[in-house]
Amino acid sequence: MENPVVIKGNKHGITVFLDAKLDFGTLKELVAEKFRDSSKFLGEAPVILGFEGRPLLPEQEVEILDIINANCNLKVVMIDDHDAEREERYKKQLDEVLMEIDRAQGAFYKGNLRSGQEVFFESSVVVLGDVHPGASVISKGNVIILGSLKGQVAAGAYENENAFVFATDMSPVMIQIAGIRARCSDEQGKNGNKGMKLAFLEEGRICLEPLSKKIWNDIRL
Amino acid sequence: MGEVIVITSGKGGVGKTTTTANVGTGLAKLEKKVVLIDTDIGLRNLDVVMGLENRIVFNLVDVIEGTCRIKQALIKDKRYPNLYLLPAAQTKDKTSVTPEQMKKLCDELRDEFEYILMDCPAGIEQGFQNAIAGADRAIVVTTPEVSAVRDADRIIGLLEAHEMKQTHLLVNRLRTDMVKRGDMMSSDDVVEVLAIDLIGVVPDDENIVISTNQGEPLVGNDTMAGKAFMNICHRLVGDDVPYLDLNVKKGIFSKLFSKN
Repeated sequence: MENPVVIKGNKHGITVFLDAKLDFGTLKELVAEKFRDSSKFLGEAPVILGFEGRPLLPEQEVEILDIINANCNLKVVMIDDHDAEREERYKKQLDEVLMEIDRAQGAFYKGNLRSGQEVFFESSVVVLGDVHPGASVISKGNVIILGSLKGQVAAGAYENENAFVFATDMSPVMIQIAGIRARCSDEQGKNGNKGMKLAFLEEGRICLEPLSKKIWNDIRL
Repeated sequence: MGEVIVITSGKGGVGKTTTTANVGTGLAKLEKKVVLIDTDIGLRNLDVVMGLENRIVFNLVDVIEGTCRIKQALIKDKRYPNLYLLPAAQTKDKTSVTPEQMKKLCDELRDEFEYILMDCPAGIEQGFQNAIAGADRAIVVTTPEVSAVRDADRIIGLLEAHEMKQTHLLVNRLRTDMVKRGDMMSSDDVVEVLAIDLIGVVPDDENIVISTNQGEPLVGNDTMAGKAFMNICHRLVGDDVPYLDLNVKKGIFSKLFSKN
């Protein structure tokens, strides 16, 4: 083989091709050199690492991992061992890791959301402005609107049942939490369900309540 | 260097063409050099409202396709020395022009004119994209009805996404008597919903129908709508004018004296 150590990118991370004939000691040195050289290029993203071209003993795998960790800034989240089912599970876990990072950062949106506009957030979001009829906010976490909510909101999309929606003026067309929808009743639509309110999921139904100490006690983040 | 102002609304029939005709004529009365461009290809009627229908030889599509020069297609309004109209084609459709071509046309007209007013077609498709392509400012026309206000909201969102520098709101066909009874949104209500700057309020006035039918814009005359449009022109050029008191007090005396 011309190049005993080759790094290739794939959908969820990188695959390292190792020469099968080289002795393990030389190979380790070559891996160290390769990752040191490409450290800048690889960056510091969380990745799934896979090995190909040479069967590795568990101890050898750990050794090579240590070398990789020592020589570049990649965050190896897990090792890929070519099992489709397991790969699917890893992918999901990687998504969760990414979301965790987003969640820690939080998001802000400044400005009015007008009819026809749609925004999507991986994290909880604070909207500084109004959500007009025909506009929609979709978030994997909570949605807090410092303004009036007259459009649509989907919080905890699509499975976070602890997500809530808060607006300083709550008169939405529709609220969705963890995939469960509630539409404002026709009468409320006319009179407006005005005021500061919190929407949350309770026993499979969406409840709208004014703020109180009891409500905050029930909220789980 | 001229300024390009697009007059748009989303919903049809709220008064875009009437506004374009009156604001354009009003600016010409303020001795500004103005050109009105009808971008409603296939459904033109700015020329009819301006009373210039019979003088069309070439049109917007001819200019863009290079069949004629810009100067040949511009119709000079004999009543005002500074006012010109570039009519739309009637036999083509909106796809005969691209936003890039419109932008280029606007830029060519900037050297010659102080104000370039674009009359936008209803809707948010190609015609709308063409009309806003080269614009610096936008006037969003709405009537105080929920459907028109909803469409205006969508349009403002699209204009913001297009990074329009300035967007003004014009509330058209307001009826003070209905507002007082609580049957119609007031201009303040509309401004609150749409959250943009108001440039003027035009009352519902039957003189508009008369002026449209005669092909003679009423801006600047003694009617309520005429005064309202003139105030809007003043605000567009940067003058600070107070809003009109739209409360027409029709007492028995004013009724008697208004017949002279």
